[in-house]
Amino acid sequence: MKRMKGKDYWKKHLSRGAIYVFLIVVSFISVFPLYWAFISAFNNTAEILGGRMLPSTHFVENFKNLIETQQVGRAMINSFATSILQTLMTLLVCSIAGYGFEIYHDKYKDIVMTILMLAMMVPFVAILVPMFQMFSKMKLLNTWVGFFLPNISTPFMIMFFRNSARNFPKDTIEAARIDGLNELQIFVRMFVPMMRPTYAAAATMTFMNAWNAYLWPKVIMSTSDSVTMPMLVSNTNTGYVIDFGVVMMAVTLCSLPTVVVFFLLQKQFTNAVAGSVK
Amino acid sequence: MKKLVSLLLALIMVLSCSFALAEADGKLTIWTWDPTFNIAAMKTAAEMYNAEHPEVEIVIEEIQSTDIEQKISTAVTGGDMSVLPDIYLNQDNSFQRSLYNFPEAMLDLTGKFDFANFGAGKLAYSMLDGKNYGVPFDAGTVVGAYRTDYLAEAGYTIEDLTDITWTRFLEIGRDVKAKTGRPMLTGEAGAVDTVLIMLQSCGASMFNEDGSVNLVNNEPLKAVLDIYNTMVIEGIFVEVNSWDEFIGTLTNESCVGTIQGCWILGTILSQPNQAGKWAMTNIPALEGVENATHYSNNGGSSWAIVPGTDEELAIDFMQLYTNVEFYNTILPTTSAIATYAPAKEGSNYAAGNEFFNGEPIFATIVEYTAQVPSNITGTYYYDARDALATAKTNIINGGDITSELQTAEDTVNFTMGF
Amino acid sequence: MNNTAPAPRKRPFLTVARKQNLAGWFFLAPAALLIFYFSFYPMFRAFLNSLMTGRPTALAYSDPLIRNYQFMVKDKVFIQSVTNTLTYLIIQVPIMLILAVIFATLLNNRDLKFRGLFRTCIFLPCATGLVAYSMIFRTLFTYDGMINAVLLKLGFIKEAINWLNDPTTAKAVIIIGLIWRWTGYNMIFYLSAMQGIDYSIYEAARIDGANQAQQLLKITIPLLKPIILVTAIMSTNGTLQLFDESVNLTNGGPANATITMSHYIYNTMFRKNPNFGYAAAMSFVILIMVAVLAAIQMKVGDKR
Repeated sequence: MKRMKGKDYWKKHLSRGAIYVFLIVVSFISVFPLYWAFISAFNNTAEILGGRMLPSTHFVENFKNLIETQQVGRAMINSFATSILQTLMTLLVCSIAGYGFEIYHDKYKDIVMTILMLAMMVPFVAILVPMFQMFSKMKLLNTWVGFFLPNISTPFMIMFFRNSARNFPKDTIEAARIDGLNELQIFVRMFVPMMRPTYAAAATMTFMNAWNAYLWPKVIMSTSDSVTMPMLVSNTNTGYVIDFGVVMMAVTLCSLPTVVVFFLLQKQFTNAVAGSVK
Repeated sequence: MKKLVSLLLALIMVLSCSFALAEADGKLTIWTWDPTFNIAAMKTAAEMYNAEHPEVEIVIEEIQSTDIEQKISTAVTGGDMSVLPDIYLNQDNSFQRSLYNFPEAMLDLTGKFDFANFGAGKLAYSMLDGKNYGVPFDAGTVVGAYRTDYLAEAGYTIEDLTDITWTRFLEIGRDVKAKTGRPMLTGEAGAVDTVLIMLQSCGASMFNEDGSVNLVNNEPLKAVLDIYNTMVIEGIFVEVNSWDEFIGTLTNESCVGTIQGCWILGTILSQPNQAGKWAMTNIPALEGVENATHYSNNGGSSWAIVPGTDEELAIDFMQLYTNVEFYNTILPTTSAIATYAPAKEGSNYAAGNEFFNGEPIFATIVEYTAQVPSNITGTYYYDARDALATAKTNIINGGDITSELQTAEDTVNFTMGF
Repeated sequence: MNNTAPAPRKRPFLTVARKQNLAGWFFLAPAALLIFYFSFYPMFRAFLNSLMTGRPTALAYSDPLIRNYQFMVKDKVFIQSVTNTLTYLIIQVPIMLILAVIFATLLNNRDLKFRGLFRTCIFLPCATGLVAYSMIFRTLFTYDGMINAVLLKLGFIKEAINWLNDPTTAKAVIIIGLIWRWTGYNMIFYLSAMQGIDYSIYEAARIDGANQAQQLLKITIPLLKPIILVTAIMSTNGTLQLFDESVNLTNGGPANATITMSHYIYNTMFRKNPNFGYAAAMSFVILIMVAVLAAIQMKVGDKR
């Protein structure tokens, strides 16, 4: 019995142990910087620059200083509104497009897809000024719509949905057609429910991108009423005197929603994956 | 599905309407940065103005200086001035650049504002072809501030650092470093603030009068870089990576002092536990350089007014910047030193400062301000500044001063060649 | 074609096939139009700008038209920014993607305990904003910062390293930052793709005596090829357009040692004396580089 376990048994357990150690180290490295930012929201400038690793007692003070100097409420509303709207619109527009490209694909649609992919290569700094001119003509400066309109349709998301539509069984479509459903109904009633994990993943990614967007909002959201959270973070880090407690409080507040959204959708994401993939 | 789409579209319509721009008359919007400094000053101005004109709504929005420049740039280029505020602050160093490229966003204030009592050097930053485009605000007059306790540890007093040359400063710096282990000064590695402070103290600039770049044949600059390099190599001057770290060296007491624009006093005064430990004096002068002085400038800014609907109101509001009481009120909270000469009559200027052992530091700074030599900025100021920063870094890493300056000059000439 | 066909009117105009084809076009139209209007059209305008010179409000066609492009070859800072960006690309993208595949493989093992926890931890960096994480990393890597303190204590280094003030280590910090921020992001793609792979394939392979590495090379990577290709193209693209890290983490320094192309373009437009024409010309170079690299990757990726 003992002999039979032998070398292989130990080898297996050792390598298993090594995997756990490796993953723990990697997880620690991944989480540590965020932990540090979070506890720094409890500390004052001297403690932060001194490298304090535990929370101190300045949380309330930092929070008060932040809301006194910055429009946190306004920024939260703007960031949430723009990110949620952008996420909804992206899911709608890109999922149906990805579906359209894959399910009805022919030579011409493939060509269009290839052309759209080229848009991924357009460096954003390059189109900053023309975009500003367009949005100013459309009277969309300082609006939520202006924030998310250019980001609704991305080649990446179209491709993401297109790839997942590849797993959508063709016979389901045929069956649905025989049942008398029209093409849009097939998409809404068959594809959307089945692809919930894809939607969850796409929503997570889009929300995070929208929430963290910095350069574009910086250009078109120019009034203080249209400030977003990343802009607010960057605003705390300016001036002749910098209060790092306030900076880290802003960093924490700015990171919190994306972390929460990730946790919420991650669960749905995994469950849905487990349930829907046969 | 259709319902969802129409719902979303309706939602978007509502939202975009609710967010439309208000083109309200009788409202002043001001863009500036730094809550403890410019914003605090403007808040006081708004209170004072509202006391007499309660009907005027004044909105102060916090935007970083680089972002203001970028927004002005996009707005003017995009041809939509409606997104701009009525008044905004511009760094003196980049005023000429904005004036040249975006004159559309700067109202000609000549004859609309009394510029008589501002220093000529300060006014020059915001003037073009004899016309005024900016209301001068704070001075960036450079001071030398040192920890007297650390100096005493090495056997020096603040008098030993007053009216000295850089050669003497190096000697003291070596001694202090040996005895206390602390550097005399600190600064940002990627910046050239200190180099330019030293350069301006002898009336020299990175440009010639005709606007051409002047780096490689600039003898004062070479002397400055030589001293700077020596200080860094010997650890008398420690370069840190970012502005935050630089501030950190002052707040966590790891260096002896600083040579910086007087706005740095805001940071020093914000550390109550260091009260009584600081003293202020003028800066060392370059030896063997013509016109060398103990005075220089770094930072400082001026207000610009956007031509448009509310310009009359904005001009009326800005008249506060010729009001001695205004400058007197903002001094204790912001330590913003006025460039308006009569401001020094204000009671707070003459008052002794507890933190600095009762010394009337603000009155002293006003005295310094009058003696600062002027410098030439021009529209390519930041191009030259970036190129010089690169040269400086390479010199510290062993590069030859002349050849590095040649490269820097070529870089700027390249940009100017367009 | 055939002379018995004067009756097409009798057949419904929309045959089933046509109807489906049309539905396809209808479905992809909004997305396609948005991309055309908000990417290609402004890019076309930027292209016109790239042939112009002068003040931002008074741009005029330059003489010769390609003058901006000619200048670029002589611009040392631009060449430096291209070199820097390519350095990031060559080092960071492969390391990141390999790590992501390894993490995904380890986490796809159903016998592993705390899978969810590990996955969450590794993905968490993506929830941090670019500005925020740049700020955090800058503070961690300062001269008297945490990283130096730990390395000194463990005896890996004899004296503190001035990470952000040395051209090599400053680049390294940016690369470390990028890997930290984006590995989990790529991992998630691989993980969800792996969940589409039938788990019994692995079990069968294990019974046949294939070890972890063999399973990875023989099963996982071939099956993940399409998604690996996508992430490779995305990462290449993202790295070539790198902006926030260069601005917020090192501000391009020391002495332009870490400045990226996008950062230099931004400076050319907004920090220095604004030169929109030249900036537009430089961004076309990025576009061409991205296109060429994507084409190469697709070519390599398509060889099955």
